[in-house]
This record gives sequence, structure tokens and C-alpha cells, in this order.
Amino acid sequence: MGQYLIQRVILLVPTFVGVTLIGFLVMRLAPGDPAELRAAGGLGGAREGTISRDKLGVLDEALAQWRAQYGLDRPLHVQYAIWVRNFFTLNFGESFKDNQPVWNKILERLPVTIKLNLWSILLVYFVAIPLGIYSATHPNSLSDRATTLAAFVLFAVPLVWAATMAIVFICGGDFYYLFPPGGLESLDYSENWSVWKKMKDHAWHFFLPVVLLSYDGFAGLSRYMRASMLEVLGQDYVMVARAKGLTEGVVVLKHVLRNSLIPLVTILASILPGLIGGSIIVETIFSIPGLGQLGYESVLARDYPTVMGLFTVSAVLTLIGILISDLLLSVVDPRIAFGRRGQ
Amino acid sequence: MGSFYLGLFCLSLSLSLSFAGCGKGQRAEEAPAAQQVAGKEEPANPTTGDWLVIHSLSDPEQLNPLTSNDATASEVLSFIFESLLTRDPRSLELKPYVAEERPTISDDKLTYTFKIRRDVRFQDGRPVTGEDVLFSIKAIKCPVVNAPFLRVYFNSLIHAELVDQYTVRLITKEPYFLNESVFGEITVLPRHYYDPENLLAKVTVRDLAQDPKKLPNEVKRFGDNFNKNYSRNPMGTGPYKFESWKTGREVELIRDPNYWGNGKSGIDQIYVDRVKYRIITNPDAALVTLKSGGLDFIDRLTPVQSVRGTSSERFKRQFQKLEYYVPSYSYIGWNNDHPIFGDKRVRQAMTYFTNRKQIGKTVLFGLAEVVDGPIYFFRPEYDKTLYSYPYDPKKAMELLREAGWKDSDGDGVLDKVINGKTTPFRFEFKVPSGSSTGKSVILVLQEELKRYGIAASVRELDWTIFLDDVKNHKFDAVIMAWAMPAREPDDYQVWHSSQAANKGSNHISYKNTRVDKILEDYRREFDPKKRIVLYQEFQRILNDEQPYTFMFVRKNVSAVERRFQGVEVYPAGLKPQEWWVPQSAQKYVTEAMIP
Amino acid sequence: MNPTQSGTERAIRLVEGASPLESGVSGGLWSDVRKRFKRNPIALSGFYVVCLFLFMALFADFLANDKPYYLSYQGKTYFPIFRSYLVGVRLAHWPADLQNVDFKKLEGAKSVFPPIPFRPSNINLFAPLEPPSASHWLGTDKLGRDVMAGMIHGSRISLSIGFVAVGIAVIIGVFLGALAGYFGSWIDLVISRLFEVMLSIPTFFLLITVAALLPPSIFLTMAIIGLTGWVGIARFTRNEFLRIRNLDYVTSAIALGVSNRKVMFQHILPNALAPVIVSVVLGIAGAILVESSLSFLGIGVPAELVTWGSILHEASSTTFAWWLAVFPGAAIFLTVLSYYLVGEGLREVLDPRLRGLR
Repeated sequence: MGQYLIQRVILLVPTFVGVTLIGFLVMRLAPGDPAELRAAGGLGGAREGTISRDKLGVLDEALAQWRAQYGLDRPLHVQYAIWVRNFFTLNFGESFKDNQPVWNKILERLPVTIKLNLWSILLVYFVAIPLGIYSATHPNSLSDRATTLAAFVLFAVPLVWAATMAIVFICGGDFYYLFPPGGLESLDYSENWSVWKKMKDHAWHFFLPVVLLSYDGFAGLSRYMRASMLEVLGQDYVMVARAKGLTEGVVVLKHVLRNSLIPLVTILASILPGLIGGSIIVETIFSIPGLGQLGYESVLARDYPTVMGLFTVSAVLTLIGILISDLLLSVVDPRIAFGRRGQ
Repeated sequence: MGSFYLGLFCLSLSLSLSFAGCGKGQRAEEAPAAQQVAGKEEPANPTTGDWLVIHSLSDPEQLNPLTSNDATASEVLSFIFESLLTRDPRSLELKPYVAEERPTISDDKLTYTFKIRRDVRFQDGRPVTGEDVLFSIKAIKCPVVNAPFLRVYFNSLIHAELVDQYTVRLITKEPYFLNESVFGEITVLPRHYYDPENLLAKVTVRDLAQDPKKLPNEVKRFGDNFNKNYSRNPMGTGPYKFESWKTGREVELIRDPNYWGNGKSGIDQIYVDRVKYRIITNPDAALVTLKSGGLDFIDRLTPVQSVRGTSSERFKRQFQKLEYYVPSYSYIGWNNDHPIFGDKRVRQAMTYFTNRKQIGKTVLFGLAEVVDGPIYFFRPEYDKTLYSYPYDPKKAMELLREAGWKDSDGDGVLDKVINGKTTPFRFEFKVPSGSSTGKSVILVLQEELKRYGIAASVRELDWTIFLDDVKNHKFDAVIMAWAMPAREPDDYQVWHSSQAANKGSNHISYKNTRVDKILEDYRREFDPKKRIVLYQEFQRILNDEQPYTFMFVRKNVSAVERRFQGVEVYPAGLKPQEWWVPQSAQKYVTEAMIP
Repeated sequence: MNPTQSGTERAIRLVEGASPLESGVSGGLWSDVRKRFKRNPIALSGFYVVCLFLFMALFADFLANDKPYYLSYQGKTYFPIFRSYLVGVRLAHWPADLQNVDFKKLEGAKSVFPPIPFRPSNINLFAPLEPPSASHWLGTDKLGRDVMAGMIHGSRISLSIGFVAVGIAVIIGVFLGALAGYFGSWIDLVISRLFEVMLSIPTFFLLITVAALLPPSIFLTMAIIGLTGWVGIARFTRNEFLRIRNLDYVTSAIALGVSNRKVMFQHILPNALAPVIVSVVLGIAGAILVESSLSFLGIGVPAELVTWGSILHEASSTTFAWWLAVFPGAAIFLTVLSYYLVGEGLREVLDPRLRGLR
């Protein structure tokens, strides 16, 4: 076990270098110049294609001064080397935008994104697992087909469309006002509110984003659950259990369910990388100040240190996720030989 | 460097980018009569209290008045900081602010002497002295301070010194009629707050012009500290104190009860207790929030929103809609060095092909006015007699024929022999990818040109790449817009032939010796009337040569909750600092607010 | 969960939902597969919808065009739509009086127009944002362009994005997966690192970065969706190769001295394709969804092109124009759903264990 762990961790190193290098190169080889953007007044001008007459006239000398300030005048490989060196002291550099340490900017927004994703993961599991169990215990019945179809229908609804519709029709505006169209808390939110009131306010604001983040996950997970249950249901010991005369309910809940939950563990690994990428659209539409929004804005603003920071954090989270689910798998299912599982 | 962008920061009229000259603004729709009358007859003594919740599309990038360079930040900072001079919102005349009076200018127009008011205090109660002003100038000129884009405007300032404790003298390289305005823009920063160790004490403004590597260590330390530690904690002399900034959510300012200007004549009085900027990235969500009471003020409704979705009776009862023109104009720039567009007749033809009126009506929902010259539409310098090219494809084809364009090989595209080579009429529009109106305009023109045998393609580019291509003259035609201060124009940068080299703003390589002469004389002319005469001639030349196809000045529509009184539309926009709410209509209560 | 991951990655999640596929499907089984597939009405209806969209994409020029099928003008007969193809490849010319003309305004001409007499680029500044009517079946957008024409021609782009992106993903995925699974040892180790790298990269984030920073181009969008979406396919292929490699027929082929290349691509690959096929079908759907997300953010698709995503993007700023949101949204939804149903149907008939359960 210990040896396996060490081996896995060592193998993470090239992966980590690969990921950060790709991120670095994509960002840096793409055309465009953050100095130019800053000089032109940030992203506001980009939105309108308008530039203040005097800002375009900024001298090259000023641009060079700005680039030198952030070390952008050095060769690329040197910049990458510096970045790696700083990374080991957990220093992601400072944002071009406001000179704040990138690490602080990420920490500031991390809780929001985690909350959002945690709730949506929970929602997915709570809906999908019972659905999957039901489908597996009634394979190919009409209701199995119906739930499958329903899950697929949800899966096929484009998120951007669903979100636009939600904003237009049920978030105030000219139709219904069931949910707030954005933000995390009411305007008059105060720390003095009772716990209950605070919770209610949060729930009200989080509901739509969470639902939108999760609805298309139902299909995947319930299919997964269904398949994994079916596999277990087909095994000999289940037949033995049935033959012993145990009721179907006991068989399913006690014997089958436990064993078919194992694969669900592996799916955890694939959830983490979605933390940043997955919520870009929802966070943008609902004005939620999470990592997705930060990421998108930073990309547009060519805020290299912040983008790299986010990229790295997300990659590290994923690697940890992969590692954990590998370990968990090897713990719950000893049949999986240590070291044999490459990935 | 020539002119200075007034709206850059710290102007008290925050929400418009800058001022309009003799502009006109108007109420979009007449408010219900009763309301209107009530608004006008409101007792002349406004009261304090209540909050103003303003929409912002994005966070300010940072709240350091020198190193920030974005519109949201200038807006927020205009509540917190004050400058030496300001402009009267109606007449746009310069008037004293932190300075006691307008500066005395030496006869050679090189020395400007400012006297500072003795009663100005920072928000922490310390008085403002000449030392703070000098420090503010040093901070701008300090090469390690991350403000290269602001520093550019002060390139002609070569020295500044204290005459006595309340008098500062500034010395410039050359005479320029806008210098007073540029220097008047200097934001007054508290030295004791931004430079607690007084690291800049020993260097002079002249010293700071040196190579950054040769500067003493203290200066570098100051720069580092100033760049890093003052991004989110501004403090100045303004009427509002910075309270908090929750990233991506809101920025909160509270009225300073001890504001030095309270009750002083000539200084704008303020009433609203709290100003909150609520950050909502999605404009539709913002409108919904406004309707449900979460916002009091949206400065820029999208064109669609201002036409649809804000015209219900209910909306009109709750909000007033206000319109004003934004000092800017959009244009299509034809690369004058391009073999096709080097010909004046071709450029004129292109303008005739552009159905500017109908585009304005459809694409911009009528929220635009067609313009024919580069001067802000409402300035006295703007020549109202300019010929407005109508939409006239026949005339355009005639001009093209005259210039030698015809379809000689029958492939459906016009061609002409240029420099011994048969050149088809093909070219590329470059469009910034963020600008949806720009794209629409070009699509319309492209379709129009296709019908007459001109093959135009469209290429969208990310903003910074676009700007880079524009600066390097790597384009056939571009669509973009200039924003400009609404004060006295100075078009030297955009039209002088010297600015066509070295990535200057004359990116279409416009060259005309007469225009060059006018632009040079204009800058040295201190008599406003003579300046107007010069610029009218300049516009007539441009009007004939059509180096740009001038498009529109945009109209902006804002929505303000009706409980606010004193909402005035000034030439270039609104001034929320003046608004107030009658006691009976106040919505939010602030605890512990003692005036 | 993770709604905006790249196409195949999403698809993989769905496929993984099934138990791992077993046993190669040999050529003879395909007719059986077809028969079984036909017995599944849901999957079959999905298949028909896909065919419908394919038809629409193929014949877009004949369904929506501003040129007539048939034109009789000044005593001569023309077939302008066909002719425009010839002109396109420079085999023909327009006569001078028909050059750059508006065919609808030709005086004294007799003509037969397609059911939608517009191209998506036809701008009409006098009819912006019109709701559906007899002249514009699905209304018009803000420049007065016919939405129905845009939808029909947009189907080309949506479908080709799906096909090309997944094509790229398949080529890379199958190749790397085959290498890793067949050779094992250090090659497997290296390629597995590559998998891990791709899995750890926040894919959608990378997509947005590339799409936002490079000039919008439909090919670029296809390429980046493909380049970020091959991992799932590669992993399937690898696992299949790992398994099949140890089957008797392969070991004996190797013993007989058949070249590696031949064994890999002639003997193993055909039997390892079943799961790939399923993920291809699902991947196409995923790619279409990703494209819609990108164009919603206003990146990736050039302004000249009308795609389903770009119409939807316009709807996001003109919220009252419901027809701009409803129709392209429904088209994306229908296409994606159909592909999923087909993929699901295929998976069921290709998966022997599920077959046994029936």
C-alpha cells in the first residue's frame, strides 16, 4: 500500500508538469497583449469596440514599462521556470489587474464555487441513485424506459438555453418572479439575521444555479448506477441470496446496493476538474462571483498569472481526486491489485 | 502627448465618461405630469439619508487612483477623490475645487501656479497642504509606480515645486492650451497615507525623470509598496469614504459626515448616505433586479432594453428614463495607404453605400445620431454645415466608374488596373469581436457592397489583437469608435501626419499638409474663438476627403428610481452625487449616521 | 455535475454508465445488430430525426435560397441554383443582366423559388425582429435575417462541427489507445500519463481560453473540441486492446510473425471498435452542445456565419424575441437527444450482457 502510494505520487509529477506546461503555452502563444489591453482601459472598451481617443496613443515606451513591471519582457522559458520556482513556495504571482496575489484571489472565491458544486453533486446523487436503482430493479419495463428517456431529455437540454429561459421567465422581469436573477444574497442581507432567515435567503439564491448545474448529470449517474446494479444483480451470490428466500427489498438494499456503489466512487475524480470549467456559464449568467467567473474574466483580460493559478489549482484538485478514488477503490475492492492500475 | 482624457478619473461628474460642450440631453419620456411638477416644486432644501444602489457590469479592476485605468474604477473613485480643478457640469468651464482658484499662468505659458484651499481635509481629518499635492505629482511621475498610461499625459511636465506651504508651481516644456486642464486633473492623495515613511521626500520631480535603475532605493521601495498595498483601500478628500468591497458582489461607499466641503459655497453638496455599486455581470439580470427593487439606477441600459422591456406603464411609474448622448463617435476607417482606398472618390463612394440612417434605426434601435465629422456633435467647434452624405448607391457607382472601376472580366467583382496590375475590388473589414453593433453594421454594408460587385470579407479579432493590427496599420478597413472628452477637442493625435508613424493614433495614415498646419496652430492658440475657426476649416477638409466614414454618436438611456430628486441630465450625463430623497420617500435606513 | 465538459468526455460518462463492453463484434454480427436496433422504437425514431437533419444540411441550398430553381427571363431559361454551383467552380458565368441581381425583383421574369426564398445572409433592415409569420416562418433576427433560413443552413455547421470534431478525436484516440494497449510497458506508461494530463486539464476552461484568444473560426472550434475530447475514446480503445491482445487468435497471429501494424489494425481494431462507435455517436451530440455554449459566450463562431448557437446568443440579448430562443434551442435539443438515443440504442445492441438480460 505505502509503496503503491509513493509510486502513484511520483507518477503525478510528469503529469503535473505536462498540465501546467500546456496551460502556460496555450495562454502565452495565443496572440494578444495584456499591456495593450490595460492601456486601452481594460475590458470595458472591448465590450463596445470603443477606445478613448487618447488611450490608443499611448506610447510604446509606456507599454514597455508596463511589461517590464511584470517580467513579460523575458524569454518564455525563463518565465515558465520562474513560475515553477514560485509555485513551490505557493506563490502564483500577482494579478495584472489589481496587483493582488493570485492565491488570495482564488481563496476569496473558492468557498462560493465549492458550495455551488457541493450542492449540485449532492442533488445529482440524491436524484440519480434512486432512479438508477429503480431502473435496474425493473429492467426494460415501461417505467424504466420512461425514466431513461426523461434523463436523456434533460441531458440534451442545452444549459445556456435553460439558463436563458429561466432568467427570462421565472426571475422577475415581465413574467414570474420566483427566484432572484443573480447574486448570492439579498441586498439587505445582514449578519444580524436569524440563522433560519439567512439559510432561507441562501437557499433561494442558490436554488436555480444548483439545479442548472446538476440537471444534466442525472442521466449519466443514473445510467451508471443502473448498469452497475444490473451487473451485481446478475452475479451468483445474489441468486443465492434470493434462493435463501430473502425478500427482494432486502436483497437489493443490503446485498446489491452496497456492492454496486463502488464504481460511484470513481466518478468523484471526474467531478473535481469541473469545479472551475463547469460553472463558467452558470456563474456568468447568474453573476456569481466564483472561480468560473474569475477564470473567464481573467482569460479575456489576459491576466496570465491568474489564469495559470486557476489552471494549476484545478489540475491539482483533479490529480488529488484521481489519486483518492484510486486509493478508495483499492481499499473497498481488494481484488484490484495495487500497482497494476495505471490509471 | 497631446490632450488628456478628462474622464480618466476623479472628475466629479462620474457616470458619463466626460462632459459635453453645448450638448443637449433630454428626458426620454415625459414623466407623468404630476410627478414632473412635484419634482420641480420640491422644496429647495434637500435632505440627507437613504441609499443609492447603482448597477455595475463588472468589478472595478482596482481602486488606486493612479494605477487603475478602467471606467468602473474611475466612476467609483470620483466619489472618493478630488482634483485641483473641476468643470462646471453645464458650462464645462474649469472651476476651482481643491485649488483656491484657477492657476496663474505665466506669460510664456510655461509656468502654472496653483494655490491650495486651506480648509480641505482628508477623510481621516488631516488637512491638505501643498506637500500632498507635490507628493501626488511625484507619484504620477515616479517611473516605478505602475501608472505608465497615466504618466504619458504628464510627459510635458518637467518640474514641480512648493512655493510656500499652500502654493505649488508646475513647469512645462511647451505651451499648450489644454495644460491647465491636464494639471487641474491631478488627484490629491494624502502623503501620510500613501507614503507613510515619506520615501519620496528627498527626490524632486526632475530627478524622477531619470532611468529607473539609477533611482535611489527608497523610491523603488515606495513604488513597490504603492503598487501592491493600495489597490483596495482608497482614501482621499472626497465626500464619500470607502467602506467595503466584496469581490464580484458590491462596492460600498458611505457619506463622510465630516466632509470638508459641507455647507461651503461653490462645492457640491451631497445627501445620500450610502452609495452601493452592485456588480451584476448579466445586463438582463440587472434589469430584472432593477424592476424588483434591488437596484435604483442603471446608467447604461442596452439598446434593446431601452426600447423593449422598459416601456410598460408599471416601469414608467417606478422609474424615470433619461437619455443623453455619449461623447464619442463610431466610424469606418479606410486605410488611406491601401491601393484601393487611396482614392478619395472610392472613399466617398463607400460612404454613399452606407445607409447610416437606416442602420441607426435598426441596429441601434434609433438610439444614435448620424455624424459627419470628428468633433463631438454638440461642441461649438462642430461645423453644422457639413455635407451629410446620404445613402445613394447610384451616386456611389458613378464615383467608382469615374475612378476607373468596372467589371471587365465578368466575374461579378469590379476591377481596375492599379500600378499595371488588374486589381479586383476585394478587401477585408476588421472588427473587434466583442462589439456586436460593429459586427452588425459591417454585415449590412458587406451585403450592400456585394450587390454592387464589391467583395468585402469580415474578420473578427479579439480586442487586443485588433488594436495591435490597427496600430500597425495592418488592415484594409476597420470599424471602431473613439470616445473623447466633451471639453475642447484636440485632434492632433488622430489626424496629424506625424502620428501615422510609430504606432500613433493616425492609424489610417491620413496625410494633408493643410490639416497638419491647422492642428499645430490650434494647439498653440489660447483664444477659443480663433480655435473654432481653425477647426471648422479642418472639418470641411475631412468632410470632402472622407478618410473615415463617420457613423454615429450614441445615445445612452438610463433608468433611475423615482424617489430620487434633483436628477438632472447634463450635457454629457448624470451626476448622482447631487441626488437626494425626501424624508417621506426614503427606503433604506442607515444606523448610526450622525450628520 | 459538470455540464460543460467537452463532448466526448460527456459521452464517455454516459458510456461508462454501461458496464464495460465485452467481446468483439465480428463482421457477421452487424446484420444482427441492425435487426435488433430496428426493434428499438425510441432509438429508431432518434435515427430518423438525425436523418432528417442530415437531409436538411445536405440540401440546405435547395430548401432556403434567394435564387430560384427555375427562371425564365427575356426569353431564356435558367436554373440559377444549379448555375451558382457551376459558377462557384468557375465552369460557368452569369450573363451580364443577371450578375449580382436580386432575383426577386427581376421584371418580367417567371421563376420558381424554394420554400424559403431567403439565404441566411439576406439582410432586411426594414424587418428586424419580426415574430413568425407567413413570410418568415420562424421570424427574423435583429438584422431582418430569416431565422428559418438560418436554422436550415446552420444545421450544416452544427452537424459538421460534430462530425469533424469527433473525427479528430477518434483518429487521435484510437491511435494512442491502440499503441498503449497493444505494446503496454513503457509506451503504455507514457501514454497513460498523457491521458492523465488531458483528464486533469480543465477542458472547458482550455476551450474557452483558446476560442476567446484566437480569431473566431469554425475550423478552429472543431479542432479544439476534437483535440480536447479524445481521451475517453483512447481509454476505451486501450482497454479493448489490452483485453483482445491476450486472446488466442492474436497471440497466434503474433507467433506466426505477422507484423505489429497488421495485427493492430487488421486483426484487433475491427473487434475493438464497438465501444468507439457508441462514443462517436454520443460525442457528436456533445460537440454540438459545446459549440452552443461557446457561441452563447459569443466566441468561436465568426459573425458571417449563422449557426444555431449564434441565433441563441442573439436571443440572450433580445429576450423578448422568444422565437430566437425557442427554435434554435429546440433544434439543438432535438439533435442532441436523437444522437443520444441512437447511441444508447447502439450500446444496448452492442453490449452482449444486456442482450442476455432481455
